[in-house]
Amino acid sequence: MIDFILPLFGRFHPILVHLPIGILAFGIILVFLSGKDESKHFSSIKIAFLLGGIAAVLSSISGFLQYQYEGYTWETVQFHFILGWCTALTAFWLFYETNKLNSFPSYFKIKSAGLFGLLLFTGHLGGNITHGEEYLIEVLPSEIQGALGYELEPEKQLIIPEQGWEELAYFEQVVQPILNQNCKSCHNPKNKKGDLDLTSYQVLMEGGEDGTVMTAGNAKSSPLFSRLILPKEDEDHMPPKEKKQPLKEEIELIKAWIDLGGTTDSKLGEAKITTETLEPFFYKEVKPFYPVTEVEAASESSISDLKEAGFFAETVAEESNWLMISCINFQSFSDSDWFNLKPVQNQIVYLDLTGTQVSNQILDSLGTLPNLTVLKLNETAIDGSSLEKLEANKQLKHLYLNKTKIDIGRIGSLNNHPSLEKVFAFDTPAAETENPGKFSFYLEIGKYQLPALPTDTIVY
Amino acid sequence: MKQVEKLIQELNQQKLERQTRRHFLMDCVSKMGGLALAPLMFGCDLGGSKSGSSGLNLSERDLNPLAPLPPPFAGKAKSIIYLHMAGAPSQLELFDFKPELAKYHNQPCPESLLEGRKFAFIRGVPNLLGPQANFAQHGESGAWVSDFLPHFSKVVDEVAFLKAVHTDQFNHGPAQLFMQTGSPRLGRPSLGSWVTYGLGTENQNLPGFVVLTSGGKTPDAGKSVWGSGFLPSVYQGVQCRSKGDPVLYLKDPDGMSRDMKKNLVTAINDVNKEEFNAYGDPEILARINQYEMAYRMQIEVPEVMNINEEPEYIHELYGTKPGAESFANNCLLARKLVEKGVRFVQLYDWGWDTHGTDHDGSIDMGLRNKCREIDRPMSALLLDLKQRGLLEDTLVVWGGEFGRTPMQENREGKTQSFLGRDHHGDAFTMWMAGGGIKKGASYGITDDFGFSGIGEQVSVHDIHATILHLMGFDHEKFTYDFQGRPFRLTDVEGELIRKIVA
Repeated sequence: MIDFILPLFGRFHPILVHLPIGILAFGIILVFLSGKDESKHFSSIKIAFLLGGIAAVLSSISGFLQYQYEGYTWETVQFHFILGWCTALTAFWLFYETNKLNSFPSYFKIKSAGLFGLLLFTGHLGGNITHGEEYLIEVLPSEIQGALGYELEPEKQLIIPEQGWEELAYFEQVVQPILNQNCKSCHNPKNKKGDLDLTSYQVLMEGGEDGTVMTAGNAKSSPLFSRLILPKEDEDHMPPKEKKQPLKEEIELIKAWIDLGGTTDSKLGEAKITTETLEPFFYKEVKPFYPVTEVEAASESSISDLKEAGFFAETVAEESNWLMISCINFQSFSDSDWFNLKPVQNQIVYLDLTGTQVSNQILDSLGTLPNLTVLKLNETAIDGSSLEKLEANKQLKHLYLNKTKIDIGRIGSLNNHPSLEKVFAFDTPAAETENPGKFSFYLEIGKYQLPALPTDTIVY
Repeated sequence: MKQVEKLIQELNQQKLERQTRRHFLMDCVSKMGGLALAPLMFGCDLGGSKSGSSGLNLSERDLNPLAPLPPPFAGKAKSIIYLHMAGAPSQLELFDFKPELAKYHNQPCPESLLEGRKFAFIRGVPNLLGPQANFAQHGESGAWVSDFLPHFSKVVDEVAFLKAVHTDQFNHGPAQLFMQTGSPRLGRPSLGSWVTYGLGTENQNLPGFVVLTSGGKTPDAGKSVWGSGFLPSVYQGVQCRSKGDPVLYLKDPDGMSRDMKKNLVTAINDVNKEEFNAYGDPEILARINQYEMAYRMQIEVPEVMNINEEPEYIHELYGTKPGAESFANNCLLARKLVEKGVRFVQLYDWGWDTHGTDHDGSIDMGLRNKCREIDRPMSALLLDLKQRGLLEDTLVVWGGEFGRTPMQENREGKTQSFLGRDHHGDAFTMWMAGGGIKKGASYGITDDFGFSGIGEQVSVHDIHATILHLMGFDHEKFTYDFQGRPFRLTDVEGELIRKIVA
């Protein structure tokens, strides 16, 4: 008959906790308002500590009951629970002390301040349990989050192997990672929005406050799927419209899993899905175009010196340390201007010397650029007599020699270059060669034509 | 706080724009007297200068709005050439092969296609119009291209087709605005403005965003299609003429020598520098910079806009005739501009609105003539970029503002004497090539009549998202604050078309 009393009292915890906070804070404020000799607020303070202590005890008891009946783990609540009792005891201790005092010396104020701190911290821990540990952090700008050491790492992206994906456990290896990435932040054991937890198959099957979320074999009547495809403006749309939305392929995979029967023992290959759906999740070995090695950033002053001298000088991307240099507005650049580039020789990955006054000598200097990936020597006096020196540039991938005096033999001297992928030699003696032959790199000599057609002259 | 400051700045700007000479005179009546009185009465300091430069922290961008900036991530493309066929070419005669439609030629269009539909000119039940071109598959990719584009069919392996693009606009002006600015209404910055705002430009002696037009008319939407919208106006497209002076008023006036011009610019800049020392307004520095840039452009622009010096085989390749205003000349200029480090080159070719109201606007004759005008030049552009290695980091985009109906147009319910198609935005073809694009790809499926997309449809926003991605931007993060909120090119939509990205 009275079985419900205890859990009900437990559920009053969220209300009761505000009593000790309010009452004790009021008492502490009065302590600080009192002068050294004055005892104007004496009786009020006494009663505040007494009532505050009693309220803290009631809160702690109700909190304990909630912990007992609502399925929180001890790990989650332990510090909140212990500090709650500490708060109660401290309140009583200060009440006891006030009985012996006529005034409030500073040591008492320090103790009161301590109680206040305890109160705040206990309350904060309680808040963390109800709202989640990231409740306050989430709304901070990401720079401050980082400074506080809270890198709120998103869950890892789902990755599916291109070979043998049929054998993946559909729930464990596909659906659960999708749920983790898109749903977990609001549907986990600590933070069960709508009383729904989606962190494992068992709890998912328990459903939420509106009942089950998955009807095996019928995706359309399973909120786990149907709420994802509601219009974004719909109140019931999940995830809420201000949160990151799942990919349409992820939604498709969830649908296919439910339609397949929504069990834990099915394999991905059993579902009616095509590789098209899986494509976004295939692991792609992204080979970055520029070297993967790390270099330290070129100093700001060295970059502004370059710009001052007339170079185009920018990093390849905002966060990158690799530099792109072009002489597009510095056509008078010659071998003797090389000193400008020395301070950034490790950072240069792209160098455009098109149309400059450089000679064959420049190849010696170019060898000092360990990370050079793209080199443009179009329209220069380079004749290729020492082109093999570019073998020193072990990262060089694209070499532009358009409109130079280079011939096919000289290009051939690069045949054993370790990294070279493409050479452009349009409008050079090399382009005149009848049969240029095969090289370890792709050679583009152009000379494209679009032969005239009879239709070119027919006017309808 | 920054947003509030920006709003106040916008408000002040608007107030200033409404100030007229009369306001000034009115103000003078009351305030000049007071002003004169003030020093008489107190001999006091009226504000004055507070050492202009000391507290200023000016970035390179404040001084030179076109200074280059690195993209958020390393993009595959550095520059863009956008070929816009104003008037909307018929996808059904060029790329979207529909043999089924031929079978139903001249039969009434099924009611189901017309239900709840609005067309620009079609009324009642029109007849279907079968493809008026012969199609074949070309290249290793097996792309379908009609005999309207015989030269282009040889370069299809460089290209990725989008065959189910859709737009929600069916009138030229709004549709062109939508295609170029991401909104069918006026006021948004164009794609080229966004890109030059985000990246600046490599060659400081040339504009960052150049517009070239051909076909005798500019786009229906007017110059707003290359406008800068709410972005600073320095990011709008600079329209260059391919005939006569490339940029108006850039040539030295008669009797004015270069040296004299140089002296003039130096003198103006000296005055401006004095002004800056007195008031410390960074706008003044930007102005100084622009005078200098205009001076430098005087040398470089005529040079880069001159195609006379190009070798004969290049003229043969493109089919160019120096001195004319043609799409071919513009294609060659586009290559020259990109080669010289211009960020964004926008071409408009007018004359694709094939309604069938006259000979030039007929699907079987006028369209063929238009196709012949672009076929060689655009194919040549791809080949020329390729042989120079420019296709590695130049993105080429081709398309109209919408597509055309599979039905014969029946303007005012009458039978027309020429074959023509009405405006249609449900499904049409665009292509992209170059920087970061998967060669020989084809994405998008349309129904048997080519009326609607039935798979792999992409929106205009998706295309913008993809273009920005290739330039190194996340379209969701690339924003500009205006009227109290951040704006995006893709508004609240757009998804990267992964299938055509290499």
